[in-house]
Amino acid sequence: MPEITYAEAIRSALWEEMKQDERVFIIGEDIGVYGGAFGVTTGMLKEFGEKRIIETPISEPSIIGAAIGAALLGMRPVAEIMFMDFILLTLDQIGNQAAKMHYMFGGKATVPLVIRMPSGSGTGAAAQHSQSLETLLMHLPGLKVVTPSTPYDAKGLLKTAIHDPNPVCFVEHKLLYKMKGEVPEEDYQIPFGVADVKRAGKDLTIVTNGVMVHKSLAVANRLEAEGIDVEIIDPRTMVPLDTETIINSVMKTGKLLVVHEACETAGWAGEIMAIISSSRAFDYLDAPMRRLTGKNIPIPYNRVLEAAAVPQEEDIEREIRAIVRGDY
Amino acid sequence: MEKNNKEELFIEKVERLNLQKEELLEMFRKLCTIREFELMADKLYALGKVHGTMHLSAGQEAVAVGIRHATHIDDYLINHHRGHGHFISKNADLNLMMAEFLGKEAGYCKGRGGSMHIADFSSNNLGANGIVGGGIPHSLGVGLALQMQKRDQICISIFGDGASNEGVFHETLNMAGLWKLPILFICENNQYGMSMDIKRVSAKLPIAQRAEAYDIPWHYIDGNDLLTVYETVKNAAENIRAGEGPTLIETQTYRYFGHSKSDRNLYRSKDEINEWRSVKDPIIRFKNNLLDNNIFSAQELEVIEQEALTVIESAVDFANASPDPDASTVKEYVYA
Amino acid sequence: MPTPVIMPKVDMDQVESTIISWEKAEGDHVKFDETLLTVETDKVAIEVNSPGDGILSGILFNEGDVVPVATIIAYILKPGESLSDVENASASKHDKATKPVQEPVSTVEEKGKQASPIAVKVAKELNVDIRDVPSSNRIVSREDVEAYAATLVETSVPGFGPGSKIAATPAARRVSKEKNIALESLKGTGPFGRIQLKDVAQTAHSSTEPDAALQAEIVQMTGKRAHIARKMQSSFQTVPHIFETIEADMTRLEELRVRINENSISNGTSKVSLTAILVRLVAWALERNKYLNASLLDDGIHLWKEINIGVATTLDDGLIVPVIHNANHLSYSETALRLNELSQKARQGKIELSEVQRGTFTISNLGMYGITQFNAIINPPEVAILAVGASVRKPVVIDQHDNISVRPIVKFTLSADHRVIDGVVAAKFLADLVKVIEHPEILYE
Repeated sequence: MPEITYAEAIRSALWEEMKQDERVFIIGEDIGVYGGAFGVTTGMLKEFGEKRIIETPISEPSIIGAAIGAALLGMRPVAEIMFMDFILLTLDQIGNQAAKMHYMFGGKATVPLVIRMPSGSGTGAAAQHSQSLETLLMHLPGLKVVTPSTPYDAKGLLKTAIHDPNPVCFVEHKLLYKMKGEVPEEDYQIPFGVADVKRAGKDLTIVTNGVMVHKSLAVANRLEAEGIDVEIIDPRTMVPLDTETIINSVMKTGKLLVVHEACETAGWAGEIMAIISSSRAFDYLDAPMRRLTGKNIPIPYNRVLEAAAVPQEEDIEREIRAIVRGDY
Repeated sequence: MEKNNKEELFIEKVERLNLQKEELLEMFRKLCTIREFELMADKLYALGKVHGTMHLSAGQEAVAVGIRHATHIDDYLINHHRGHGHFISKNADLNLMMAEFLGKEAGYCKGRGGSMHIADFSSNNLGANGIVGGGIPHSLGVGLALQMQKRDQICISIFGDGASNEGVFHETLNMAGLWKLPILFICENNQYGMSMDIKRVSAKLPIAQRAEAYDIPWHYIDGNDLLTVYETVKNAAENIRAGEGPTLIETQTYRYFGHSKSDRNLYRSKDEINEWRSVKDPIIRFKNNLLDNNIFSAQELEVIEQEALTVIESAVDFANASPDPDASTVKEYVYA
Repeated sequence: MPTPVIMPKVDMDQVESTIISWEKAEGDHVKFDETLLTVETDKVAIEVNSPGDGILSGILFNEGDVVPVATIIAYILKPGESLSDVENASASKHDKATKPVQEPVSTVEEKGKQASPIAVKVAKELNVDIRDVPSSNRIVSREDVEAYAATLVETSVPGFGPGSKIAATPAARRVSKEKNIALESLKGTGPFGRIQLKDVAQTAHSSTEPDAALQAEIVQMTGKRAHIARKMQSSFQTVPHIFETIEADMTRLEELRVRINENSISNGTSKVSLTAILVRLVAWALERNKYLNASLLDDGIHLWKEINIGVATTLDDGLIVPVIHNANHLSYSETALRLNELSQKARQGKIELSEVQRGTFTISNLGMYGITQFNAIINPPEVAILAVGASVRKPVVIDQHDNISVRPIVKFTLSADHRVIDGVVAAKFLADLVKVIEHPEILYE
């Protein structure tokens, strides 16, 4: 099976969908000749022309607004917001408009829109270009929130997003763009609401997404030699969330650790823990549930501080050991 | 404000614009229907029958009717929260509208939207928006889609004077002018945002002149003169349909009721309101023109006025008789 | 109105009975006071008689059913009456006839369980939440409460008061419940002494779980067996037992016995057994050691005025303790007579309720099986029980000159409730007992 990068996987999903469906187009800043801030749309202007690769002025709210309007008329726009941080500018259009229209118009309007956004820290981009804000989006009913962690997941999920009649926020961790992975050549889609067991294990369940999936995997593989067997669940879609897989996993292992880059306070780890403690998995917990998250701080510029702001492999390892030891 | 070079007579204008009697009568009917709807809404509210609040457009009828008659029935409409008039002009089913108003399941939005969010996608009414200026950028997408789909409808994007100071107004006009999208921007200037006089919140007036910054042609007209609205819009729409790009028309008008139901009109004088209600009222002006020029008799017009009231009253009956949505369906329609 | 047949309550703390057999069937004509069915209480079998003449109808429970007291179990229909009369009346006033009419029972809102008033009362005293009390029956009984309270006595967690919650993970709680292991019997190795799964697993291995591969004949724990189990567990867990053993030289007693029995043949009185004699002598000792003939109740220690000695008797289906009332007022022969009567009745299953009630002290003799010494469990609400071992001929020093002789020696072990009886008090009783055993003439002084 061919190996391509996460960015290439996303591009191929866009490419294939645009080839198959006239209604699909991309709208965003610098997505033409420049190929998008992270190179995802490289080469697409040449293939599809400027009527379908629409470059805009720096007007994020109106980029989303335009996408909404087009979607209302049956088009399938994919809007690109250059950094997830900028969705804060667009919250009216995403939250008050796109998310609400189907409901407040009594089911009569559909907004089949995809908003792609690079997220996350680790590139020295500092406070306003490094956030993980999926929790904010999860909180707006009417939106779907997707956070793929591998090229395979990214391509299959993006295709599903484009076909979905609802507004979908597609969150791409920027450290993953260059990551390689096996991606089949045939057409495939990954359904929403199905978590992926990235690693099966029996001693502890880790629920995690984005780049933290890979950090967790690295640690888990190292700990295997010591007889610590960690199970890693990647929800892939935060909304809709596959609660069954997570519950079953915790019933098996009796221990839960949620790892995410997003800040701790009101971060989605709390959501998972609340779900578990009110599920039948409660009676199978053999230790307090734990979370390991980004600190409640803006992302710093300095490299060392930046690394300290979010969970790293040592942190994950320390936490796993402590849980398995029964420290808590 | 633009005016004709000489004071053209009403009857001359009618002939020049090739307006038939039936159409004039229909225009009058619409004016009355809108006015009766707004008055009834106010009454229902006073009787405690309306949940929440509402934003009445009594006094702004000519803008709505003029736009409707000057454009195609299937042109796309993006509306604002004070948009009952535009909806009614676009041949909305008054029963369904009133039902939505009262939050009933039979309403346009199954009671989920209410006054501020009425939409009817089957007639290309893309909905009223509760966020000031919230719908303006949508017109970009509608314009883009119309171009991509190669259709000859245009997008009529209506917003108020207050919205012209939102960021998205500028973003949208910029992109619309840049890409020459088929959008007719209507700024319905009723002199006040919520309580702020437009003069107090705008660095330079008229608002419409801002369009120059985006290379968009603009007009600033008397929104309470139905035929002026009609003519200006008609010309603009034809240009837009021909692919010449967007136009911005600012219609000066006035609202009689407060911004919403919690508005006690502390920011304007009774005299001001009364002046607009009498001398400048769009319906009185149109009616007088019809009568003075013997186009219709007083009785004929009275019949229309009565029919307008009757239709509104029966809409209220329909709405009152309609059931509320079932609470068990509260989670439906979140996702398509 | 049809006359209801009610499950009678015959014992103060009785909450239910098991139906042993129906003597009459649905549709039979019955007369007033005719026996309709036999039921078994905790202690004995009793007959339930008809409250009137008529036709027995609407039988609601079958043989083997455990029925709470005061429940309607059937109806007697007089001519012209029918069961539908009952439905109509019930619907308006109390529960329908198909539901047991509980009276008086407090409702415990947990899983539809109810509790007897005394259970509720005891629970309050013991500082136990009645809703936490597990019970294998529909009605939580006092025994259930006491048994549960006993499990709360010790906790392994500092800072948690007695009777309050134990720190354990949800998984540990689940598994320990499944395996019927009391949490407080576990040592938690987690933080704050928290009991974790592995702490339960350790115990489970060495514990009561039978090997699944083994075959078994299953004997239900019902009726008497269940009652004994509950009582013994409760006594063992609630009462702080002390055990004291003393040896007595039975020579004089044996002589006495032979002498009495010689006369019995000519007198026509029953043969007197050693047990019968012991009953009399123990009664004497109890007269002089009042704290051994007592009960610890809510309002304090009741030093009973009567001395009613129960003699533990083993039957096929379990233990029964017929009581010799006023044992201190009976002669040896009267005691023997009574004892024989009771034994016979017991073996025939004809013991009456009154014959097993109101005991104040118990004697248990395993000597006939060769048991030389054993520790018995006190029979609540009594505060002591005397275990009698076998008579063993052994050499003993019989005088101050260290002369040795072979004598019949019996070991008596007293189990005493240390809440009421201190070591010395128990010792004194035993000393008195041995004195009167070795010098029986003291009885007549």
